[in-house]
Amino acid sequence: MIEQLLSILVVGAMISAVYALVAIGFTMIFGVGGVLNLAHGALIMIGAFAYLAFTSTSGALSLPPVVGFVVAVAVTAGASYVLYAGLVTFIEDDIVITFLATVVVALLVTELVIIQFGSAPSQLVPIVSGSIYLESVGTRLRYVQLIAFVVSWIAIGALWYYVSKTDEGRSILAASMSTRGAELTGVNLRKVKSRTWLIAGAFAGIAGVFIGTLQSTSPQMWLSPLALAFIIVVVGGIGSIKGSVIAAYLIGYLETASVEFLGPSFQGVLSLIVLVAILLVLPNGLYGRELVHE
Amino acid sequence: MLLTSVTARIDRLLRPLANVYNRFLGDYFGEMNGLQFVLISGSLVALLSAPFWGNFGLVRAMSVASVWAIFAMSWDIQSGYTGYISFGHSVLSGAAGYTTAMLVHNVDPELSMTVTIPVSILAALVVGLLIALPSLRLTGPYFSLITFVAVLIFYRMIPSFSEYTGGQTGIQSVEVFTYDPVLRFYYMVVPMVVIAVVLTFIARSNIGVVLVSIRENEAAVNAAGIDATKFKIFSFALSSVPMGIGGVLLVHFSGGVDPSTFVVVDRSIEMIAIAVLGGMSSILGPLGGAFFLIVLRDYVLTDLADLATPIRWTVFWGLVLLALVFVRDGLFRKLWHGLERLGGDRR
Repeated sequence: MIEQLLSILVVGAMISAVYALVAIGFTMIFGVGGVLNLAHGALIMIGAFAYLAFTSTSGALSLPPVVGFVVAVAVTAGASYVLYAGLVTFIEDDIVITFLATVVVALLVTELVIIQFGSAPSQLVPIVSGSIYLESVGTRLRYVQLIAFVVSWIAIGALWYYVSKTDEGRSILAASMSTRGAELTGVNLRKVKSRTWLIAGAFAGIAGVFIGTLQSTSPQMWLSPLALAFIIVVVGGIGSIKGSVIAAYLIGYLETASVEFLGPSFQGVLSLIVLVAILLVLPNGLYGRELVHE
Repeated sequence: MLLTSVTARIDRLLRPLANVYNRFLGDYFGEMNGLQFVLISGSLVALLSAPFWGNFGLVRAMSVASVWAIFAMSWDIQSGYTGYISFGHSVLSGAAGYTTAMLVHNVDPELSMTVTIPVSILAALVVGLLIALPSLRLTGPYFSLITFVAVLIFYRMIPSFSEYTGGQTGIQSVEVFTYDPVLRFYYMVVPMVVIAVVLTFIARSNIGVVLVSIRENEAAVNAAGIDATKFKIFSFALSSVPMGIGGVLLVHFSGGVDPSTFVVVDRSIEMIAIAVLGGMSSILGPLGGAFFLIVLRDYVLTDLADLATPIRWTVFWGLVLLALVFVRDGLFRKLWHGLERLGGDRR
């Protein structure tokens, strides 16, 4: 029993770290722009497939994994910026159209990925291979999981530093509190939004490589990270980074525990039900605020 | 200018016909000018006579389009009118389809349609009211999120209870209406036309006005002494029943259910895309959108252009995206108002 709990503690922490990466980008874009980016899952998929294209041994480049990782993150950040500058700026005043256009982008990316890579799942080259057996816990941990955990916290730490200690970052925070207030104090809203989309894209790219390595890389992989981002962000409160990190761990542990106690087929269902319960009690999530139309 | 003078003359010629309609039904369904009347009656005649001029592929595509028209119109009466954007409408048709299939599969294979169809529609209604509950507390994106989650819950439950639901492959033992393509066409089109007439009637009545007011300013509706909650719940019920009918039609069309034709999020998104493309909050716009998009996808891109599946979908979603950005108010609303302008001044 103790071993089981310890194993949940360790495995849950690893997966939750990745979930936090998934949710942060999604929540930042909503916080600053008021845009629900339903193409966030597609960005995660772009990250995974970019990594596949650059590192695969059969590919033209077959870069070393670490370089491939950096390139994949850069590609995803770029894709995210293109999505913002090429599409979202023109339609963000209409919330329904934005919903729809971003989800259609996700479906479009799915089809393009099928055309390019086929519909069967692909295998990613892990950044570091091998695993370690934790005897006291009774669980085998892959090194990739450990790296995902570490990278996640480095990224969150860097983001925290950027947002709270630098002027550029603080303008993001200001815009997410009140767009009008930020504009009045001389913040260039368009630049802030562009930066937010770049950061969100980079986070999605990191998450994409790890999800692709740890779970699966297939043209359908965008949906469950998007669903996760939804759940986490709603539980944590839309727009709150702190809320997302806490909710990511809550959901990660919940899923790990339900797999452990109920079996793998219940992995998602329990967290969804918890989500519904939380929404009904706390409609704005743990750290959320009411959506205000300006 | 020249064009208007020509079309205005045609319009004057047709006006007497339209006026007969306007006198008897205009109060209920909205008045039309001559050109608009010809468009509507012409489309109806073309639709009902399709098996006599269309080939097999086209008629089949139109049968499927009828079901999608029902879905899109149902989505529209709830989300388009009240502004509570639901991402979860495939849950309603899925509930009806799965109820039919599970009754046949798990209870009694000999069960007649006179039993399964009403029960299935009832199931859609119950699920619809369940989804309506959160709308009493949640607004805007939060409401959309929870409807999205409803789809995910439903989708994830299917493999969890695969002994009853058939898992990923679904249940394929449902009786089809008929194998005759012409008769089957009418099985789909006639309910669609009836639903279109009923929903248009309701949307043009005071109820439609209240629903639009909820979208524009819910507080004002309450302040005017109208219970917005009641109307929201009513719009959900109004949406669920045709969704149930559509789900039942779809299950008896193909003879089975499976998660990827009934439940997955893509299906809900298609309904919304169709409705928005045709023109939200207009009932007949989504109907037109359904025929436009489904015939394009299942007939033009499949049979005529003969594209491979992923390329077909790429073209399909690409067109939807373009339409969303450039024709936000919907193709058919544009067409309709264009005809109004071309008809010259009214009276």
